[in-house]
Amino acid sequence: MNRAKEAKPLTKEQYLKTFSRAVRWRLPPQESEEAIADYRELIFQPERDESRLAEELGEPVQAAHLLTDVATYRQWLKVFAVLAFGLFLLAKWTFTAHSSFTYFLGYERWWYPVWVMAVGMALSLYWFRRHGQKNGPMSKWLVLALAAVLIYGVGTLAWNWYVMSPGFLNIYRETYPHVIPWQIILQRELIINGGMVCALIALAGLVLAKCYDRRWLALYVLALTVAALCGFIIFHMKGMSLDYPSADMIQSYLFARLIPIGAAGLIGTGVALC
Amino acid sequence: MLKKDLLELCLLQLLSGGDKYGYEVLTPLRAAFPDTQESAIYALLRGLGKEGFTSWYMAPGGGGPDRKYYRLTPAGQSRLDALRTDWRHMRDAIVSFGVE
Repeated sequence: MNRAKEAKPLTKEQYLKTFSRAVRWRLPPQESEEAIADYRELIFQPERDESRLAEELGEPVQAAHLLTDVATYRQWLKVFAVLAFGLFLLAKWTFTAHSSFTYFLGYERWWYPVWVMAVGMALSLYWFRRHGQKNGPMSKWLVLALAAVLIYGVGTLAWNWYVMSPGFLNIYRETYPHVIPWQIILQRELIINGGMVCALIALAGLVLAKCYDRRWLALYVLALTVAALCGFIIFHMKGMSLDYPSADMIQSYLFARLIPIGAAGLIGTGVALC
Repeated sequence: MLKKDLLELCLLQLLSGGDKYGYEVLTPLRAAFPDTQESAIYALLRGLGKEGFTSWYMAPGGGGPDRKYYRLTPAGQSRLDALRTDWRHMRDAIVSFGVE
């Protein structure tokens, strides 16, 4: 299989594509755009023999590596590993509503997603303000993605406001466990799927912020916030007792915490856009 | 003097003869140093630009799209002079051992 790969040299387009991907991941956006433009000029010279491209220029990833500031790149890999692990935890928590950390930390587990959010926001904003770069006007796809995540987040919170209202909970208490109302099923689906999808969107935002424009970090921060809110709600739901006399206060208790967390996320999103 | 310094010397010497676009710089250097790939020479050229030894501008290419031309800066000229002096010292030292 390797022999077959070696036998077929990269075309000029394939070379540039592989090089662009590698260089965008390693260099700040403006520097990578410059390097790509230079390589485009070098590769598409009429005198350039396509079959000897890798031999003359070197393998594309190796060529990108030669342009890399190794210390900054290694630092980025560490930051990325921490942030990606945080997103993995959020996705796992919203899916399973369980955290093994409870055995070690013992603290109220619904705060775990908020800690992950705080660390993710602080670390990513610090790193990208220091090493990230803006690159041209703001992408309309970023605006659309932010709007979609924001609508989903606000919609999920609004639905939770409704199902946690004393009126709805009293009806639920009377019918449970014989009937699980569709409103509760929808709430669960919104939280589980929202948490996991937002963790994936946040990961995409992180990669795009590194490769194209640091303002994509706003998508990471906003999606991280929604995923953290979903985690916070689902941990609460799991530990909630409807028989407890103060069940009527669940809505006000929960939203008194959800609103500041959401506001912090929105502020972080604004900072990432600046 | 390391191979990198020799490459740098040749690159700056090439630019001292007039402004050149990337391919014009890379091709003769690769011919002179066949075991060095163009990506390494390009990385060196880019590094020299970051250190202020070269600058660049866009100008029309031969009938095609605009090309990026590199030129030597005054700091680059000083660096070239320093490298030339190093090279002469090294050459004299080698010759003193009877190497021709």
